[in-house]
Amino acid sequence: MPPDSLAATFAAIADPTRRAILARLASGEVSVTELARPFDMSLPAVSKHLKVLERAGLVVRGRDAQWRPCRLDAAPLQAAAAWLEGYRSFWEQSLDRLETHLRDLQETEAPHGPRT
Amino acid sequence: MAPAPDLAAPPELVLTRVIAAPRALVFRAWTDAAHAARWWGPQGFTTLSCAIDARPGGRFRVGMRSPAGTSHWKQGTYREVVAPERLVFTYAWEDAAGRPGHQMLVTITFAEQDGRTRLTLRQTGFESVESRDAHQGGWTSCLARFAADLAPA
Repeated sequence: MPPDSLAATFAAIADPTRRAILARLASGEVSVTELARPFDMSLPAVSKHLKVLERAGLVVRGRDAQWRPCRLDAAPLQAAAAWLEGYRSFWEQSLDRLETHLRDLQETEAPHGPRT
Repeated sequence: MAPAPDLAAPPELVLTRVIAAPRALVFRAWTDAAHAARWWGPQGFTTLSCAIDARPGGRFRVGMRSPAGTSHWKQGTYREVVAPERLVFTYAWEDAAGRPGHQMLVTITFAEQDGRTRLTLRQTGFESVESRDAHQGGWTSCLARFAADLAPA
């Protein structure tokens, strides 16, 4: 996926209302009117959020001119999660070194302290 | 196929580690450059430079050299510094031209546990409006460049 898509994904899901919209869409496709109901929001306000989600590729709108149902596409979220997972090894190795550093430090500072 | 993500929460990386050291010391190891230079980075990496100004709004910038000889620089800004329990900072790798890539947000909590310290690290992708607007699209290469240099875990 191109880098800008991932940036758009993170920007889109930074907003709790948009995350709630995605959660709602997880149970199936719905119309904008239906989508707006539980959020106590105006249709233009919901449409604005939907546009952000559409640009990020998280929501796909149907072609039916009358209804245009909204559907979730979770692939960008999975890509974002996979990208974060790429950092696990960096942090695990850093924390290993942190533990070693602190153990050495405490042994130096307390040479007669308990050893195992 | 990957499991369905939790749609109500942003994707995040979470790590927990119980460290045999008092909480104040562990916190200091994160916020004092002389300590951080000794451990912040993967196995086999050496620290070229480590500048840390751990206070809200303060910045850090750290340079590392990989075993293969490539330099990597990371930088960020502290959002919260609550000694000895909590640290929140933004985090980005610089590309070869020194431009910061995609910003992440890292939250570290330090909890006392029987004289030891339970450290929890959360990292989320984080895109502020200004960083999105200034975005050059170079951040995937920052990670790719970095990942290529990571020693096997």
